[in-house]
Amino acid sequence: MTVIEDQNRMLIQMVKEFTANELAPLDMEIDQKGDYPAGLFQRVIDNGLLKITLPSQYGGAGFDYTAAADALNKMAIGNASMAVTLEGHFKTIEQFTKYGQPSLNDKYLPSAGHRIFAFSMTEPSGGSNPKGISTRAVKQGDNWVITGDKIMITNGGLAEVYCILSKTEDDQMAVFVVDKDMPGFQFGKREDFIGLRGTPVGEVVLDHVVVPADHLLGKVGQGLEIGDNAHADARVLMGAILAGIIEHELGIAINYSKERKALTTPLYQLQVIQEKIADIAIARQNTRALYQKGAQQKVANQLYAETAAMAKSYGSRAAVRSGDEALQVLGGYGYSREYPVEHLIRDARAMELAEGTIEKMNLEITNAEIAK
Amino acid sequence: MKIVVGIKQVPQADSVKIDPQTNNLIRSGIQGVINPFDKNAIEAALRLRAQAGGEVILLSMGPDSYVTSLRDGLAMDADQAVLVSSRALGGADTLATGYTLAKAIEAIGDVDLVLLGRQSVDADTGQVGPIVAAYLGLPQVTFAESISLESANTIIAKRQLDTVIQDIKVTTPAVITVRSELNRPRYETPVNIKQSFDKAVTVWSETDLNLDPEQIGQAGSPTKVTSVYAPEKKGRQTTTLPTDPTQAVVELLNKLN
Ligand SMILES: Cc1cc2nc3c(=O)[nH]c(=O)nc-3n(C[C@H](O)[C@H](O)[C@H](O)COP(=O)(O)OP(=O)(O)OC[C@H]3O[C@@H](n4cnc5c(N)ncnc54)[C@H](O)[C@@H]3O)c2cc1C
Repeated sequence: MTVIEDQNRMLIQMVKEFTANELAPLDMEIDQKGDYPAGLFQRVIDNGLLKITLPSQYGGAGFDYTAAADALNKMAIGNASMAVTLEGHFKTIEQFTKYGQPSLNDKYLPSAGHRIFAFSMTEPSGGSNPKGISTRAVKQGDNWVITGDKIMITNGGLAEVYCILSKTEDDQMAVFVVDKDMPGFQFGKREDFIGLRGTPVGEVVLDHVVVPADHLLGKVGQGLEIGDNAHADARVLMGAILAGIIEHELGIAINYSKERKALTTPLYQLQVIQEKIADIAIARQNTRALYQKGAQQKVANQLYAETAAMAKSYGSRAAVRSGDEALQVLGGYGYSREYPVEHLIRDARAMELAEGTIEKMNLEITNAEIAK
Repeated sequence: MKIVVGIKQVPQADSVKIDPQTNNLIRSGIQGVINPFDKNAIEAALRLRAQAGGEVILLSMGPDSYVTSLRDGLAMDADQAVLVSSRALGGADTLATGYTLAKAIEAIGDVDLVLLGRQSVDADTGQVGPIVAAYLGLPQVTFAESISLESANTIIAKRQLDTVIQDIKVTTPAVITVRSELNRPRYETPVNIKQSFDKAVTVWSETDLNLDPEQIGQAGSPTKVTSVYAPEKKGRQTTTLPTDPTQAVVELLNKLN
């Protein structure tokens, strides 16, 4: 085992232990309450989990994306909401390290170990077609003045630093970093989503928020590229989370089918049940192979956007379908809120939308294949 | 305060599987982890360090593969680790292990406190801590469920036995073995995991420590295991006392006499 492999193994073990003790026992409660219980998010911070991918020069652990994805995979087996909260943070940090100016990164990244960062493109008018956004950034001397309404932001309300996709006066796209403490910044409403109910997803309203010049990520005109890059980074991690949800579904189906009997025969010995369990296991393995491939490609500096889209496009539908199959294995109990399967379907369903809809991803995959 | 924590690697409980055909332990794929009580000892040492300053040194005797467990302890935030490792040490029982650890503690030098788990979960003898204390000629407290610093060189340890709790005041240097009630061991953190690979893990052999060949490994181990079996279950008897209080007291006193 290389040192890196050894470190990654330790990280996975740590996340498994943390998940088993702190998250998995609260999985049902988080769904029912629609929020994280008091103190839980602080324990995530205190145990350094926001620092997994943060480079060491900013006080982070500097784990690579394969380790981060595997860590979120393990976390999602116990609770997908918290894994998505971390996904939103990690993918945003990636945009700072790739596009941020040194002065911006020096100012902001040291706080990313205890403050959540978020990335925001979607507006009330739509998310799939970012060219249609109405948030505006107007240059005023050395500063930019930003006005707009951004919705459905993962960790909106919880996050303290936001990357905001805006249009400049000459209709170019650009991403700016906005801090919740800046004058003119306001939180709006939290979505009442049907799944991932722990993860806050909310709105921020910007009314002439003034940011200095170095709060521009990359260059003016690079906004869509950065948005696409953030999508690809998010999709790798969501693939990992989806593989975790499927693993959770598989575990529930297997345990139940061993206990429950059709007269005297345990369910798992029935061929019709075996088909479902096998389908779920295959879905888990395929999703895992896709997200791990995407993470490896990213770490190796290869193109990974298409694999990332595949991981989330395939994984999200596979996780919803697998949840449906697991529900069927549990019969009437599967349809009950007392059992976790139904909320796993709702959790997985979010990822057919978030970070690009299935339709948009499949368009991208098709374009990539046609261009080959 | 210079604190040495003795740790042992044990098989992770949920990784131990029995081959259904042969009924033997499946050895491949067993993950070694720090003996759970030893994690309490590490946590106690880290808290004492936070209070009194100083250094936490992990010490283990075993094969090279034990380094992974020492690394886990370093990722909990211990400062450095020592592994005593050599073929000649193989087959050591508690006496040979205690001797070897005591010699290593002497070699580390100027140690104020030695903490160990009260027993290992795979062998369950609870003997190594006391043997280490005997070899070092140090006072010892076993089964501690709380440890507090009273002054720079006195510690008060609460010792939990089956029926009594003793408060024992002990001057350092001393040896203390700990129960799981003592604390809740912290998690490793991602940053500490990375940094644990920058910390020193020193490996010593029997020659580095000038160990007496007659006192180490198989040669130094008088314990002979002839067989291992589950103890017979002793049936417990239950008597229900009459509901009338006077009668109940009389009957109870009769029983106790
Ligand atoms: C849990 C969750 C978390 C989210 N987190 C974030 C976040 O952190 N940041 C953020 O910016 N957004 C976030 N979103 C918003 C998400 O990105 C959008 O919901 C998504 O992009 C779709 O946008 P929309 O909802 O406006 O739907 P629309 O864009 O209106 O789409 C409606 C339907 O039309 C289809 N469609 C629309 N345009 C096209 C097209 N050009 N080609 C093909 N089909 C098309 C869509 O696929 C969809 O089926 C999140 C959403 C969810 C559910």
